[in-house]
Amino acid sequence: MRKKAGLPFYIFLSIFIFVTMFPFLWVFLTSIKPQGEIFGGYSWFTTDPTFQSYINAIETRPLFRYMWNSIAVSTLTTVIAISVASLSAYSITRLPIKFKGTILGIVLAAAMFPQIAIISPIFNLIQGLGLRNSYMGLVIPYITISLPLAIWILATFFKKIPFELEESAKLDGATPFQTFRKIIFPLAAPGVFTTAILVFIAAWNEYLFALTINSDDNWRTIPVGLSMYQSQYTIPWGDITAATVLVTIPIVVIVLIFQRRIVAGLTSGSVKE
Amino acid sequence: MGDKKKGFQLNEKQLGYLMVLPALILIFAITLWPVAQSFYNSMFDYRLNDPTRNQTTLSYQIDMERYADNYFFYERDIESLLSEVEGTEMEDRIAEIQTQIDEYHQQIVTSDNLAEQYAIVDEMVTNFEPVNDNDLRYGEISNNFSEEYTEILESATEDISEFQMATDDEELGEQLASAGNTIDQLDRALIRPNFIGLSNYGKYLTEGRTWDAMWNTIFFTVVSVFFELIIGLAVAIVINRAFIGRGAVRAAVLIPWAIPTAVSAMMWSYLYDGQFGIVAHYFHQLGLISDSSILLSTGSGAMFSVILADVWKTMPYMALLLLAGLQTISESLYEAAEVDGAGKFQQFLYITLPMLKSAILVALLFRTLDAFRVFDLIYVLTGGGPANSTESVSVYAYQVLFAQQNFGEGSVLSVIMFLSVAIISILFIKLIGSDLFEDKKGKS
Repeated sequence: MRKKAGLPFYIFLSIFIFVTMFPFLWVFLTSIKPQGEIFGGYSWFTTDPTFQSYINAIETRPLFRYMWNSIAVSTLTTVIAISVASLSAYSITRLPIKFKGTILGIVLAAAMFPQIAIISPIFNLIQGLGLRNSYMGLVIPYITISLPLAIWILATFFKKIPFELEESAKLDGATPFQTFRKIIFPLAAPGVFTTAILVFIAAWNEYLFALTINSDDNWRTIPVGLSMYQSQYTIPWGDITAATVLVTIPIVVIVLIFQRRIVAGLTSGSVKE
Repeated sequence: MGDKKKGFQLNEKQLGYLMVLPALILIFAITLWPVAQSFYNSMFDYRLNDPTRNQTTLSYQIDMERYADNYFFYERDIESLLSEVEGTEMEDRIAEIQTQIDEYHQQIVTSDNLAEQYAIVDEMVTNFEPVNDNDLRYGEISNNFSEEYTEILESATEDISEFQMATDDEELGEQLASAGNTIDQLDRALIRPNFIGLSNYGKYLTEGRTWDAMWNTIFFTVVSVFFELIIGLAVAIVINRAFIGRGAVRAAVLIPWAIPTAVSAMMWSYLYDGQFGIVAHYFHQLGLISDSSILLSTGSGAMFSVILADVWKTMPYMALLLLAGLQTISESLYEAAEVDGAGKFQQFLYITLPMLKSAILVALLFRTLDAFRVFDLIYVLTGGGPANSTESVSVYAYQVLFAQQNFGEGSVLSVIMFLSVAIISILFIKLIGSDLFEDKKGKS
């Protein structure tokens, strides 16, 4: 439908963008208001912008520690998931093995598992290994989320690489593993990178495991840490909005830089070409 | 490459199996095996916060640390009690208790499998060292022996407390209480099997709160996925054209999807706040709600709020998936339809929808399963309240598992979640057909 985009279209578009962005906009506007204005009236713009809420947000809670924890856990998860998943995705798409359908079925089933169904045995496992309140304590359960996701998306990307390349490599005497390492993997690098971004975001956003396993404040990740800003008696909306702005910035930057890749990755699993 | 090395080369097939192996092992170990364990745990009276039930056991076990520790006090108490009751009518019974307990205790400390373990633990207890190794701390004892022993301990506790009731002597009463207590502690060191079959299921399947949580989950899933699909499809169709500012739209779509659900739940809880929330304020001004506190303080208001926040976060994602599907539909189909005189609505009904069918079904599958296991949005935004009116099965299971520390009963809810998700997936995969895998298999 290659319709011309007229004025009504742009009005619709502006409304759409405004609605989806409004919560962020309002949270940002609140975060720079002085305390008195936050808790009195609904005026949009403050005449007296201040960073006081940001200072409070950092001082009352170890926000940067949360960020660092999230970065460490998500990075480790991504590295492990991608290295294991790229091997299996390659094997499933390009090597002559049996039971491909079954293997993909298991992978898809694992991706659909509700985390609540496995949380108590995983909790016991991590407790038994003495890994509560550590990075590995979260990286291990995150494999359940990230590995199937990574295999699923990588399989689509590997599938797109022409098969002739492998055949000529084989004729030139390369072993299957050499073919994988020297020919397929470099060609699939953009797809691998896209998958890595999606796995990273999935690990960054996880809540249930992080809430139960790393209960010590020093080991909390961003989503859990932020949800703990509410105190028992009052809700410090100024601190919360400022913290929200701070933790949203890294994600916004990643999205803005890699938006095309993310879209390619998200849609790769669902649309056939 | 030398000939010698070639002997070790794997052929393609072997290499293929070797390459999928790590992933399969990991998936088995941290996804499939834990589900099996949840099934198993759900059949036990298994509570983390109760030392006599904090593990699952099919047979009697003895908590050596507790037993050795209390046996030390028991010996002292019974000796002094015996000298106190000398010459009274209690003497015979107390002496009998001592002989009986001693007989069974000797059997434990001289038995083949426990003697050595008991000696080590006893030594550690005497030195005030904690016994952290569970293999050392817990020992297996035969069911017959334990049943007899616990019966003796129980009747001893009972008799001593009767003596205590009957006596007027304060000092004697205190000694009786102390001896009764240590004997009771010995009894508690013998851990009874906590296998209870399906009675946890009986409890939860007949309980109103479970079904309320299930209804909330289904209602939330159906309503929010429905609106996400309808609005997402509309948005996808409208923006499926060439226009200036695609990048801005893409970013506007991706940012809500990319931020953590818990963070967006915090943002919405501010926007909905009855006192300071802007959305609550505007809804009140527009006359949509009679009071700005309604959004989070009434059951239906809270459910509406949760659904709106979910639609806001995931509708753009849906639009994105459907847009990608729309872009694969060939332009010529629409041109041909136009020539044949088909209207816009007919084109949508007979071209767009059938061509989008598989993209819609796949998007629906993923979204439905995602919505069904909703946890963080509800946990952070409403906490399941007010009065459990937004509690999903996942939130309820979390409360039983971790707030009440009841792993046995909580596992029932875990299993219910697992089975529900399995049923939903099977239904969808029947609808979609096996071509979900076909395009990924590659050549075989």
